[in-house]
Amino acid sequence: MRTSTVTSRRGRMASVAALATTALLALGACSGGSNASGSTAAATPGAGASGSITWWGWTPDATNATKLIAQFNKQYPDVKVTFVSKPIDSYDSVLGPAITSKDGPDVFNVAPGSANGGAQTFAAGAIDLTPAVQSALGSGWKDKLAPAGVDGLTVDGKLVGLSAGAVYSGGLWINQKIFDKYGLKAPTTLDEWKTVCQKLQSNGQGCFVQGAGQWAFDMDTFEAISDNVEPGLYVKASKGEAKWTDPKFVTAMGLWKQLFDDKIMQDGAIGLQQYPDANNAFMSGKYAMVMMGTWYTQYAVKDSMVAAMQAAGVGTPDPIVMTPIPFPDLAGTGHTGSMFGDADYGLAVSAKSGNKAAATAFATWLTTSQEGQQAVANTLNDIPALKGVTPKWDTIDLVDPAAQKDALQKYTEAAGQATESRFATVTADVNTAFRDALIGVASGKSTPDQALQALQKVQDAQK
Amino acid sequence: MPRSEAASRLGVPSAELTGTASTPAPGRSASPAGRPGQGAERPRRRGHRTPPGLPWILPAVVLVVGLVYFSIGYTGYVSTLSWNGFILSAPKHVGGANYSKMVGDGVFWMALWHTAVFYVVTFTVQTLLGFTFAALMHSRIRLGVVYKVVVFIPVVLAPATMAPVFRQIFDASGQLNWLLSHLGLGSLTQPWLAQSSTAMPVVMVITVWQWTGLTFILFYAAMSQIEPEILEAARIDGAGNLRALRSIVWPMCRGTTAALAVLGLIGALKTFDVPYLVTKGGPNHATEFLGTYIYQTMVQQKHFGYAASISVALLVLALAGGVVMSVRNRRAGRS
Repeated sequence: MRTSTVTSRRGRMASVAALATTALLALGACSGGSNASGSTAAATPGAGASGSITWWGWTPDATNATKLIAQFNKQYPDVKVTFVSKPIDSYDSVLGPAITSKDGPDVFNVAPGSANGGAQTFAAGAIDLTPAVQSALGSGWKDKLAPAGVDGLTVDGKLVGLSAGAVYSGGLWINQKIFDKYGLKAPTTLDEWKTVCQKLQSNGQGCFVQGAGQWAFDMDTFEAISDNVEPGLYVKASKGEAKWTDPKFVTAMGLWKQLFDDKIMQDGAIGLQQYPDANNAFMSGKYAMVMMGTWYTQYAVKDSMVAAMQAAGVGTPDPIVMTPIPFPDLAGTGHTGSMFGDADYGLAVSAKSGNKAAATAFATWLTTSQEGQQAVANTLNDIPALKGVTPKWDTIDLVDPAAQKDALQKYTEAAGQATESRFATVTADVNTAFRDALIGVASGKSTPDQALQALQKVQDAQK
Repeated sequence: MPRSEAASRLGVPSAELTGTASTPAPGRSASPAGRPGQGAERPRRRGHRTPPGLPWILPAVVLVVGLVYFSIGYTGYVSTLSWNGFILSAPKHVGGANYSKMVGDGVFWMALWHTAVFYVVTFTVQTLLGFTFAALMHSRIRLGVVYKVVVFIPVVLAPATMAPVFRQIFDASGQLNWLLSHLGLGSLTQPWLAQSSTAMPVVMVITVWQWTGLTFILFYAAMSQIEPEILEAARIDGAGNLRALRSIVWPMCRGTTAALAVLGLIGALKTFDVPYLVTKGGPNHATEFLGTYIYQTMVQQKHFGYAASISVALLVLALAGGVVMSVRNRRAGRS
């Protein structure tokens, strides 16, 4: 009996060991090991594509995604595309595991530089789209696309994503109705900006709102100020070709601080986030000005503005008439109108996709075809990647065409000419260091010199 | 409830509940009292029915070893890497470099300091409030059930749903400042979330609001265990309410306080949701905790190896803190 008991125990122990080993191996298999090099040849986009594919992204919003897919289906009726909107904050967390599986998205958004969905991070999970874009646009394809969309989404020679369009920042948006109500003109200098804010605030109307706790938008404001002080210096410094400790940045940082000291920034700005706080405050009419980029153009369209206002908590929206204005000349240098941007999102095709043909067809159609890019342009969410495509303003239902059309047209044309990058040349560490620098100065914790020295230290550590 | 009482309510002998062999004591019948006629067969039947333990605990063992301990081990391994966290990206082995970096990282030490202050303040305030509420509820006040529900409700509310509300309340143009202004206390209005000096107190207030209900309910249960005769005796000896609370009730709730202290310490080390959702760890890292810092380094900066090394530090601190406090409480209990 003892022998059998021992045998039985040994058997049980062996079973336990086997089970535990199996579990560990299973987990190990989940955690690594497979090496999708992404070298799979891309399928040539063609009319024969069919089946269902899933597209994950933080942008565009559902309304615009539906419009884009509807246009795509006119040419590819046999491909069903399902857009799954993912919050930008958690995009990287959910995308990583998803694209290691064939059950994940077939097409997913990628972005350049330190933004979420970074092409650098997810390059290994995507196929090289060079053959697809060559097939669509020929060997001279690079000349036909905006450089910002190609360079930022290429990693070690591999075209990870095809840019659908770019977003640019550098200007402000104003609520034209509020400005008209108080007989105000868009400010062009620091003094004018202060006067406008005093006038609005004395009437109980919020002036300028920024969620300065969300530092990516602080970086936009700081880049706009830096470009005002000396155009192009910001991008040079982000590439390591200039020092953040340059006296011109000290001036720019001083002007950044002045926005807070002069009460242009609202009270408690660094306790707020740009999304949702500042966005909602502007959309609900509590504030008359906000620092947003070309992605805000979509809200010049009536139905998009109504939806955005409802999302901001306005019960029965009277659509806001929004117009873009150049960033005021704070430094008095006369260098105004600077815009800077990157590919908003590129479409990457998952190396694990079970339907690469349809996924590549969709990605290529949206980003390189005249029809796809026109659809992108008409959403007003992005400046198209394909050169020469502009929104068809006459077909777009603006809130107030008389007040908006000319300004929007000039704005999008100026954005299309921009060559400065926004985040593409900023590493994740420098990006985070900007938080400490900009919020530190805004709150009085650091002087401009101290903040810029700390920033330069992080920049130096990137080498 | 005593085990024998529980057993009688379930209609089974207490030995069955304990799972111990029912070998009769010398000079005693094997038949359990009140169950005549079953005693002779019982030991053999029980022996036959007693299942081997392993199959019963195997699923839990696999789960715990396979998930929890594997994950801890894997985190330890990741802490030796320089890796962006994407499973298809090749990591680089850096040995203990992440730990060296952590030791020299001011934000890490700041987060630890915040954790210590946060723990001391929130634990003290929650204990005082929870104990007071529990004592009040035991005094049979009118509408006591309503008050109990009101105090406990925050415990079941998800921080994610309450965060926007608190962001609104503590905004510079929010309800708190509005209230202060209308009470003639306009000089006290602050941009609460935008200042390093006020952001942490806001996080503490929200945490106390959320968890006092749990402290209250545990103290309430502990007080229910105190024999009324003890309190009665104290009263006969001339003890008033406060004296009885201080000298009888509080010492008899020591076990609950000790358990709450350990739970509070572990909770403080794991703090993430309130500071992340309300202040994003800012401004100027004023509400940075280990949890928020791990999230930032891992998700925003893609330094998975470094984030894992902070996670390992957090685990070690939680274990060490828990063990030290348990030992200390045990010694205090013995003395």
